[in-house]
Amino acid sequence: MRVFTLASGLLSLGLLVIVFAGANFARGEESAADPALAEAFAGQVKPFLKKYCTHCHGGERPKADLNLEKYADLAAAAKDRTVWENVLENVRDGVMPPDPETKPGQAERDAVTGWIGKQFTQIDCGLAKDPGRVTIRRLNRTEYNNTIRDLCHVDFRPADDFPADDVGYGFDHIGDVLSMPPILLEKYLNAAEQIVDKAIYVHGPEKTPLHHVDAVDAGHEGGSARGGGWAFPSSGAVFVDFDFPAPGLYALRGKAFGQQAGNEPARMAFRLDDKQVHVADVTAVDTEPMVYETQVRVGGKKRFSLAFINDFYDPNAPDPKQRDRNLFVDWLEIQGPLDGPPPAPPESHKHIIFVEPDKNNHRECAEKILKVFASRAYRRRATKDEIARLAKFVEDAEGRGESFERGIQLAMEAVLVSPYFLFRVELDREPNNPQAIHPIDDFELATRLSYFLWSSMPDDELFRLAAQNKLRDGDTLRQQVLRMLKDPKSRALVDNFAGQWLEIRRLKTMTPDPKRFPGFDEELRQAMLTETEMFFASVMDEDRSVLDFIAADYTFLNERLAKHYGIQGVVGPEFRRVALSDPDRGGLVTQASVLTVTSNPTRTSPVKRGKWILEELFNSPPPPPPPDAGELKEDEKVALSGSLRQRMEQHRANPSCAACHQRMDPLGFGLENFDAIGAWRDRDGEFFIDASGELPDGSKFKRPAELKAILKAKKDDFARCLTEKMLTYGLGRGLEYYDKCAIDEIADKLGKSDYKFSALILEIVASDPFQKRRGKGTE
Amino acid sequence: MMHKPWQISRRAALKGLGTAVALPLLDAMLPSTAFTAFGRALQAAETAKKTPNRMAFLYVPNGVHMPDWTPTKLGADFDLPPILQQLEEFKQDFMILSGLAQDGARAHGDGGGDHARAMASFLTGCHPRKTHGADIKAGVSADQVAAQKVGQLTRFSSLELGCEPGAQNGNCDSGYSCAYSANSSWKTESTPVAKEVNPRLVFERLFSDGSEGLSDATRAKRTAARKSVLDFVLEDATQLKRRLGSTDQRKLDEYLTTVRELEQRINRVEQASGQGLPNFAKPAGVPGDYGEHIRLMADLMVLAFQSDLTRISTFVLANEGSNKSYAFIGVSEGHHDLSHHGNDKEKQAKISKINHFHVAQLGYFLDKLKSTREGDGTLLDHAMIAYGSAIGDGNAHNHDNLPILLAGRGCGTLSPGRHIRYEKETPLNNLWLSLLDRMDSPIDKLGDSNGRLKELSA
Repeated sequence: MRVFTLASGLLSLGLLVIVFAGANFARGEESAADPALAEAFAGQVKPFLKKYCTHCHGGERPKADLNLEKYADLAAAAKDRTVWENVLENVRDGVMPPDPETKPGQAERDAVTGWIGKQFTQIDCGLAKDPGRVTIRRLNRTEYNNTIRDLCHVDFRPADDFPADDVGYGFDHIGDVLSMPPILLEKYLNAAEQIVDKAIYVHGPEKTPLHHVDAVDAGHEGGSARGGGWAFPSSGAVFVDFDFPAPGLYALRGKAFGQQAGNEPARMAFRLDDKQVHVADVTAVDTEPMVYETQVRVGGKKRFSLAFINDFYDPNAPDPKQRDRNLFVDWLEIQGPLDGPPPAPPESHKHIIFVEPDKNNHRECAEKILKVFASRAYRRRATKDEIARLAKFVEDAEGRGESFERGIQLAMEAVLVSPYFLFRVELDREPNNPQAIHPIDDFELATRLSYFLWSSMPDDELFRLAAQNKLRDGDTLRQQVLRMLKDPKSRALVDNFAGQWLEIRRLKTMTPDPKRFPGFDEELRQAMLTETEMFFASVMDEDRSVLDFIAADYTFLNERLAKHYGIQGVVGPEFRRVALSDPDRGGLVTQASVLTVTSNPTRTSPVKRGKWILEELFNSPPPPPPPDAGELKEDEKVALSGSLRQRMEQHRANPSCAACHQRMDPLGFGLENFDAIGAWRDRDGEFFIDASGELPDGSKFKRPAELKAILKAKKDDFARCLTEKMLTYGLGRGLEYYDKCAIDEIADKLGKSDYKFSALILEIVASDPFQKRRGKGTE
Repeated sequence: MMHKPWQISRRAALKGLGTAVALPLLDAMLPSTAFTAFGRALQAAETAKKTPNRMAFLYVPNGVHMPDWTPTKLGADFDLPPILQQLEEFKQDFMILSGLAQDGARAHGDGGGDHARAMASFLTGCHPRKTHGADIKAGVSADQVAAQKVGQLTRFSSLELGCEPGAQNGNCDSGYSCAYSANSSWKTESTPVAKEVNPRLVFERLFSDGSEGLSDATRAKRTAARKSVLDFVLEDATQLKRRLGSTDQRKLDEYLTTVRELEQRINRVEQASGQGLPNFAKPAGVPGDYGEHIRLMADLMVLAFQSDLTRISTFVLANEGSNKSYAFIGVSEGHHDLSHHGNDKEKQAKISKINHFHVAQLGYFLDKLKSTREGDGTLLDHAMIAYGSAIGDGNAHNHDNLPILLAGRGCGTLSPGRHIRYEKETPLNNLWLSLLDRMDSPIDKLGDSNGRLKELSA
């Protein structure tokens, strides 16, 4: 994720390489000419290329179409950012040159990667800053659900059935990654129909409550299932017991056909309890079954049955088709009361249709209603033309003899499937000019804010400020952010930011081995999740220091989880804040949720835990293992008899793996007292746990509490990491090298504000990448 | 009241969905009652048309334990190693194609990420661009090539099924966006086609459009309403697109394309009206049991093929790099972790067990296809089912000598019942070209293809 350099203090964690993984540099800007860089290129990089690279990546047919011979000087090289970024990754990770070529030494590699890092990441933060550009973003599932809730006032989560959103840069709301597969549009259309049906009441016969039962699912006297229906070779009935809610007129229906024989059609009796209320002549045959209906006045509990009452069987009839009369029933239906008063419209209806039209002002009312609805849905002022086109739905509906409300429904459907609703649109005056940097307008800013903090649309107050163009006035923006953080909707940050940052969304797919961890069940899984969510929320709500994420002297437990942790005195299923006396427990890395998602089903994985810490707390993931590294051979004796730690140390003996595993493994070893589902342990099988370790920078620890203290002391590294994660989340795009200045500034201010959570959010909101955008350069 | 033809409800049959009991389809389910006549008529109408060919791709992640997969003998007299042993009864219905390679999955200077690349290249034949998110790019996948050429003949141009949703968070594989490791089907080079993992939703999409029980008049109104909504949004999108920069325009293009396709589909449904939709029983949702989940999806593919709702499908049994535990067959370790077996015999045995489990589900699918009569043969005779992975051995991460099984007779264009070994480095993409030919969707090239596969028909 980190796209620019540089090890930012991570050197203290022993990180010697330039971390630069993002792999995508939008454009190949040149940094200010720097004689030292030119010298490094001529004196170190070019000789390196000649020695190790260009005999393959050069000449007339360079391998992989990569010609490294063509860069005569710094100016030529500086134009191809992506090429060098690729070179950096391959050289750094030891992928290139491949076996069996001669490999460069570490110093040679450092010289080349160092040059690339400097050349392509040095940015003068004093110059005009590039705020970057967010690709048009469609609402992801969460945002869609929340927006529908706030826009239509319905309690309905249609997006739960949408396909999962793809993830990029660690989050599932990245504009570049979110695509529009055909199935999604179908879902949008279906969802829109259901939403408007729930939000707006339209009176019609189909609104009368209907109870439908397939014959196979009904009660039976005689007969048997046939091809999905119920067949009566002789007499019998299908029935359903029903409580007619209010006395009134009800329709009773049955769909059926007869196998006809004899001199009369099959007959089907309609009965309520034992009383026959109607007899239908079922003249329909198998190719075209029919619905038979009668209407009765009734109330209270009754049994509605359909019975076959005129069986006929004459095996001697001359025509074989005339020998047997049978009845087949497909389903039964009860609808009513048909004459009851229409129910009161739902609250959502009154919200949306806030004016009732009289005879002469339908058009005017429709426009009023749709102006408000479309403006809220599009998160900007709807244009006159848009309103007129929407109002036409109402006009057309009424022209067809349908109601005003039905017309509003259709217009709403159109809004809910419109790209202006489904996508968060931000417009540029010069969409293809990367130099055209401009602040986003107030509506766009309100929208960025609300999706950042609430994963939903702006509320009335934000809309009002945007409409008055006052969102950026004086202290307003700050006040709004603080207000939004206090709003219960900011829970979205817990679910969506923390859930993804900490990878705990994966908890629901974890499958600890039931043999080794018989205590693990759904209740515990849920409790783990709740602890971390409440803990994150407490830092946010109490505006605590974000450093508490690393180590804290409190957490949230219920009895189940407290027992899992071996903590006494917590009784009952409800969660509460619990002060922790044991310094080993406390902070995210010691929470069962994180410990479980970083374990294998059968055992802990110090590597995964170490990698998690590097990746999620310091944004400094180790590079992937080189593809040709292969698997380490375990020393037979150790493999058979050693502890997990001994076996892993054996692995690390291999120098090609050691560099990275020296960074990851000790961090994981420091957490070995926590088993694969986060319970404390002093031994693993027959082996005592050794949770001591030494980081590459020489700092040593003996137990989890000491490891956490070391991590917590790396304040600026952590602040920077959290800034990068939160900025990525807030923007919905991956960070680029030019975001470095903004990140420096935010992280710096965060430190100066005692690392308070609110400072992180406020500084992100105030930053250029959040406030501005630019046109897109040609690719 | 509505007077619609009696629909043969396959409800009773569907109650057996996902169980090991063979699903009795059309013929089998018809009792000797009045229903028979209708069934016969349906079938006659079906055979009157040319029986179509179908194509499905089933993907399994993390490679396969090859020593337990690859037959030692070639030709018709091939042996069945432990993983394939269970397919004995279908031995005449499939072939093992050894020696194929998917070059697009290789690093080519991009470093780690073999899992993401394997999935992304399996059907596209392309070397995917390494990115966390910005500018994802692979290529059009073989199934989508066919979907774009012959998909308009059926209500759904293709089906994309899976058992695991895309990753919920995190970096999926060494700097590759999760879109790569979760999707085998790519509509354009930048648009993976999301797969559906919930059998209930697949069912609803295939067999119900929410209009059951509506009168024809109401249904017609609904269709008209949908069309007017789509017209409206098409205008919005066209307007909007003009005001956007290039990247954003691409997103709008995706949107525009799907709107147009949906319009066409609505028209197709309308033309087919009067037929109505079968009144099947819905699966309840995602079953807790993984095997049952796979089998339900297999059933749905069979039904979709049989009813000619689509002729093309992909099915990702698990995402590439999946670390799912298979505790229900006694393998509690994560699949991916295990696949890095380091030549540990015990781990290899467990991998083999997982492979065995997946192939057992394939057996279920083949059985369903084979027990479905169609025309003068079975559904399996009119299908081409490719099963495999773009990783050979999970430990070595190699992309050659892939485990590939091809079942079915492809309407007489394939001669199964053999083990064929192709020359080393023969592109897997050659196989896809060969299958596309048989779907009346020939193309010249896919990835590194250098011809058609020989010997598929004897």
